[in-house]
Amino acid sequence: MENYGLYLSAALAIAIPALATGWAQSRIGPAAAAALAEKPELSVTVVLLIAIPETVAILGFVVSVLILLGGGG
Amino acid sequence: MILKMSRVRILGPSEKLEPVLGRVQDLGLVHLVEPQETRSLKILGLTPEQAHHVRSVRKVAQNVHASIALLGTAPRGGVTTPELTLARAALIAGRTRRQLEALDARRLDLEEESALILKFRPFFSTFRKISESGLDLDGIRVFYLVLRDDSEQEVRRVRVALRETLGDGFELLSQASESGEAAMILAVPKESGAKAELLLSEAGVQSLSLPDQFEGESVGTTVQRMQARLAALPDELAGVEAEREGIARERGRDLVQIRACVEDHLATVEAMEKAAVTPRAFVLEGWIPTAAQSDLERELQKTFGGVVEVEALASEEWLADTAPVVLKNPRLFQPFEAITKMMPLPKYGTMDPTPFVAVFFPMFFGITLGDIGYGLILASISLILRFRSAPQSKTRSISEIGLACALFAIIFGFLYGELFGDLGHRIGLRPIIFNREEAFLPFLGLALALGVVHIVIGLLLGAATMFRKNKRHALGRGMAGLMVILIALALMAAAGMLPERFFTPLVIAALVALPVLVIGEGVLAPVELVSTLGNVLSYARIMAVGTASVMMAVVANRMTNVFGGVVVGVICALLFHLVNFALGVFSPTIHMLRLHYVEFFGKFFSPGGSQYQPFRHWSPRENAVEERST
Repeated sequence: MENYGLYLSAALAIAIPALATGWAQSRIGPAAAAALAEKPELSVTVVLLIAIPETVAILGFVVSVLILLGGGG
Repeated sequence: MILKMSRVRILGPSEKLEPVLGRVQDLGLVHLVEPQETRSLKILGLTPEQAHHVRSVRKVAQNVHASIALLGTAPRGGVTTPELTLARAALIAGRTRRQLEALDARRLDLEEESALILKFRPFFSTFRKISESGLDLDGIRVFYLVLRDDSEQEVRRVRVALRETLGDGFELLSQASESGEAAMILAVPKESGAKAELLLSEAGVQSLSLPDQFEGESVGTTVQRMQARLAALPDELAGVEAEREGIARERGRDLVQIRACVEDHLATVEAMEKAAVTPRAFVLEGWIPTAAQSDLERELQKTFGGVVEVEALASEEWLADTAPVVLKNPRLFQPFEAITKMMPLPKYGTMDPTPFVAVFFPMFFGITLGDIGYGLILASISLILRFRSAPQSKTRSISEIGLACALFAIIFGFLYGELFGDLGHRIGLRPIIFNREEAFLPFLGLALALGVVHIVIGLLLGAATMFRKNKRHALGRGMAGLMVILIALALMAAAGMLPERFFTPLVIAALVALPVLVIGEGVLAPVELVSTLGNVLSYARIMAVGTASVMMAVVANRMTNVFGGVVVGVICALLFHLVNFALGVFSPTIHMLRLHYVEFFGKFFSPGGSQYQPFRHWSPRENAVEERST
C-alpha cells in the first residue's frame, strides 16, 4: 500500500483525459451525425474531428505508463 | 505523382468544328475549357432553339436514367433497334419510366398491405372465437391491441384497469403470439369508446387500426378475407416482378443504347458551348497530359490533314492553379490513391502524397497491430475481397490496402514474436526487437522516432513545394525540419541514448537555426515549431493503440484458464480474440488516417485541385468511377 499515491496518480493521469475526451466526443458526435445527414461526403472530415480529442486520452495513457515505470521501476 | 499537363489550343475553319469535336471525343484526351474572349473571338454558346433542344435531350436522359435505376441490375438481352430518332428515344424513355414507376408503386402497395395484414395475424384465432361465439357487435367499438409482454400478470393488469374505468361493460379476449406479444381484442359499447381510448393511450398500450378495405365487415368475413389476401399477395408480387422483367427483356438494350446516345450528345453540346469562334474559324482550348499531346496532334493531322492545327500554350499564358489534376502512380501504389482521394485533390504543381501514404500507412498499421495471427486473418479477408471485387473499384483498392497492411502486421508480428498475443511466446516464438508486453519505453521511443521521420519528410516536401513560389518560406520550412531533428537528437543526448558530449553542440545548432526559421516563416514560426513538436508527440498513439491491442490479446489467452471448463474458456477466448481483431483493424485504421491527414498532410498538402474530366464518350463504368472519385 506504500505506493498508493503512485497508483492514484497513474489512474488520474489516464482517467481525467479519458473523461475529457469522452465529453469532447459527446459534443462532436451529434454535430457530426447531423452534418453527415446533410452532407454524406463529409465522412472523412467527421472521422477526423471525432479522432482529434483522442490525442488527449492517448497522451494521458503515455503519461500514466511513464508514472508507473518511473515510480515503480 | 501529379501528371504534367499542357494547355493546348485547337484551331480550324468553322465548318470543321463538329467533325473535330467528334474526333476529339473519340480520342478522349482533352479536358475542354472556355478560351479567353477577345473583340473578334466570341464564345459560341447556344441559340434559343438549341437550348430548347438540349432541354428535351436532358429530359430524355433523366427518364432513361430513372428507368434503368428502377430496373435494378444492368439490363441484358433484347434486340437493339438499329436507328433511334430522338422522338422515338423520348417516347421509349418516357413510357418505360411511367410504367416502371407505376409497377414500383404497385409493389410498394402490395408489400405494405402484406405487412399490415401480418400485424393482424396474431388476432386470427381470437377473431374466430368471436365469430364462433355469435357475439353481436352492433353498437360495439372494437380495439385491436398489442401488449409487448404476453404474461398473465400483464394481461390481468390491463383487465383490472379496464374494470376500474368501465365496470363490467367490456369484453377482452387475449391470445399469446409467437413473437412473445399478447394480441387482444377489446369490445366496448360505443359510448364508452372515448374513455377506453384515453385509458389505453395513458397505459401505453399499442392499438392497431383495421385496414380501410376491412372496415365495416363482420369479424368472420374479415378474418377470411385477410387470409385470402395473404395467400394471394405473393402471386401478385411475382406478377409485378414478371412484368418488370418483361420490360427489361423487351426494352433493356434500347434503354442502354439511348442512355449512351443522349449522354454523348449532351457532352458534345456542352463541348460545343465551350468553343469560341471568329466569323471564319473556331478555337477549342483544353488541358491534356503532356505525354499525350503528340498523340492528339498526330491523330488530328491524320484525320483532317493540315486544315486543323494544334498548338501548346506557353506556360506563361496560364495559371498552374487552374490546371486539372491527374494522379499517376506505379501499380503498387495505386490502391493508396483511394486514401489521398478521400481528401480534396492536391493543386496542380504541388506534391501528390500517395507514394508516401503507400509506404507509411501500412507500415504504421503493421507496427500497431503487429501480430502474425491477426495479420493472416486480415490477409485472408483481403484476398477474398480482392477476388470478389471489380477491377478499379473502391472495394478492390481497399482489399489491396488491406493486403499491404496485413503483410506489415505479419512482419512486425515476427519482430515482436506475437501470434494471437502471447500465444507466440508459449509456442517458442521469441521477440527479435522487443516484447511489447513489457517494453513500453522502447515502443514509445520507436513511435516518436517514426513521428520525427514522418514529420520531417512532410516539412521537406512542404519546402520543395514552396521552393518555386517563395524561396524564403521554403527555407523556413526546411529549417523547421532541421530544428525538429536537432531537438530530437538533443533530447536523445540528454536521455543518454547518444553520447552526452553531443548535447551542447546540438542545442547551440538549434539556437543558431532559430533566427533563420523566424526570417523564413515570420515571427509566429516558433509557435508553429512548438505545434510541430506536439504533432510528433501525437505519434505516441502508435504505441498506445498497439499496447492496448497486445494486452487485449493476452487477456483473451488467459481466459482459457479462468473459466471452469476448458471448452468454455476456449470459446470465450476465441470470441474475445474476434472482438480484439475487429478493434485491432478498425482503431489503427482511424488513427493512422488521422496521423496522415492531420499531422503529415498538414505540413505540405495544398488541396483545391480540380478533377481531370476529358471530353469523351460516355460509359457507365467510367461514369461510376468518376462519381466515386469526386
